[in-house]
Amino acid sequence: MTLFRTRPLLKLVSQYQSAVVLPAATKIHTSAFLQAWKPEDHEPQKFLEYNKKIYPPQSPDEAPRPAFVCHQRSNIKYSPWKMWYIACLVRGMTVDEAIKQLKFVLMKGAKDVRETIEEARDLAVKEHNVEFASNLWVAESFVGKGHVVKGIRRHGRARFGRVEYFHCHYFVRLEEGKPPKHYYQHHPKEPHQQLEDWLQQMRKRKITNSI
Amino acid sequence: MALRIANLLGPRLLNEPLVALTVSRSHDQFVRHRHTKHWNPKWKTLRRQKVMRVKLPNFQEKPEDLSEEEIRSRLKEQGILPPRPWNEKPFFLSCTGGIFEAYVPPEGDGKISPIQVQGAKQKLQYLEKKSRTMMAIRKIKSFEEEFDTATFCKEAEDIYVKMHDLMAKRDLENMTDYVTERAYPEVIHNIENKTIHWKLIKNIELPRVVHARCTDVITKENIFGQTTVRFHTQQMLAVYDRFGRLMHGSEIIAKDVLEYVVFEKHLANLYGKWRVHGKIIPDWLPPKEPSLITYLKPTEETSTTETAVTKTSPDTEQEIPKESNT
Repeated sequence: MTLFRTRPLLKLVSQYQSAVVLPAATKIHTSAFLQAWKPEDHEPQKFLEYNKKIYPPQSPDEAPRPAFVCHQRSNIKYSPWKMWYIACLVRGMTVDEAIKQLKFVLMKGAKDVRETIEEARDLAVKEHNVEFASNLWVAESFVGKGHVVKGIRRHGRARFGRVEYFHCHYFVRLEEGKPPKHYYQHHPKEPHQQLEDWLQQMRKRKITNSI
Repeated sequence: MALRIANLLGPRLLNEPLVALTVSRSHDQFVRHRHTKHWNPKWKTLRRQKVMRVKLPNFQEKPEDLSEEEIRSRLKEQGILPPRPWNEKPFFLSCTGGIFEAYVPPEGDGKISPIQVQGAKQKLQYLEKKSRTMMAIRKIKSFEEEFDTATFCKEAEDIYVKMHDLMAKRDLENMTDYVTERAYPEVIHNIENKTIHWKLIKNIELPRVVHARCTDVITKENIFGQTTVRFHTQQMLAVYDRFGRLMHGSEIIAKDVLEYVVFEKHLANLYGKWRVHGKIIPDWLPPKEPSLITYLKPTEETSTTETAVTKTSPDTEQEIPKESNT
């Protein structure tokens, strides 16, 4: 049982320019045959579309809109469920901090995440008018489920089980500027806030049957 | 009891580094034992055979990383024939590939005194070229009877404005009505992901034809005409990046622009049109204004060090090929 990636192969077929081509071979019309090789590695398309949006010009008195860049790596041979932990780790970090932290994560997927973030950082400077590469933070970092290859495993009594080989997509959006203090909306309250809440709660109490 | 021993031993153990090391090592090693495997290794192969082997596709593989031999073997494996080599070179017959006998703009816009040696030489050359220009205009008139330099200048200005408007609108469909195939890549270079605001405010001097040439391509009758028009105008240019932030220029500052634009027409073609063919950039052009942001200087293949410098010739300026400040 073998599975191939056909799209890159077709790409390389188009690149491959052999000097020795049989004259008979050129007569064979192969395009329909090549079309029959349906590419199975569907890459997510929508996320990268955000990179194409052009925002209207701003007036000089407006605060400049922070630049952002979306980037992804698709079909990484790693479990999406395991990748989620790595994706969560870097949320709300500066790019440099995220890369530094990921260097110390021993999970296999950390390498792909780090490379994706580095690629996105370079892309931001190269194509999206970001002046300083270190002035970026990880605004979004999430995982998608990719291609699943199904295999078979033998069980006793003429039965079989299914083995699933998962791939995952990793998506990252880097935004220009400093990261916010709290990435998530619901974050632990500061001590003085807690005290205030408690005081309010205490003062709101109503003693039943009182005046 | 144990506590007492620990209390007694504790300080002593801490003092002796060797003992402390052995203690910590015993805590480090966690060994997981699997209890689902048979103890006898003779079943190992049978266990392995239970799972059907799947050759997983390598999605991270890039076709450009593969060697030719690898590609060959892959194609052979799948029974795909190597494709027919596609060595075609596209070329257009509707425009020429360059500016022939390009106009050389006189330094200081021709204000140099004819008493000086340089000035006298320029005047002489100017006269010589003028006669050839007149001949070329006569040739154009033989194809296009109502050709007149004064009316043509108005037409040229319209084409010039239209071209810039289309560039600002990023309308690539209609661009080739106003731009030749040779100038097209120069015009559309670097305009993606940007918003361009351009406006022609007024003419400081009326545009005038300074140069004209005709040439034949392949056959005698297949004639192309090129005219160089001098524009001295006041323009406004502001370039915004994808996020609407100002990259270059300004909405409120008008700049004087002097430029020599070459127009071309396929005279032999009944349906030929005057189109923008290029721009003459003189050597004595003053240096471009630096951009607003800094960037890493792209390094050569040989050197590996990268240095941060302030921009002197930014990308943003190259993308608008039609501006030269005087």
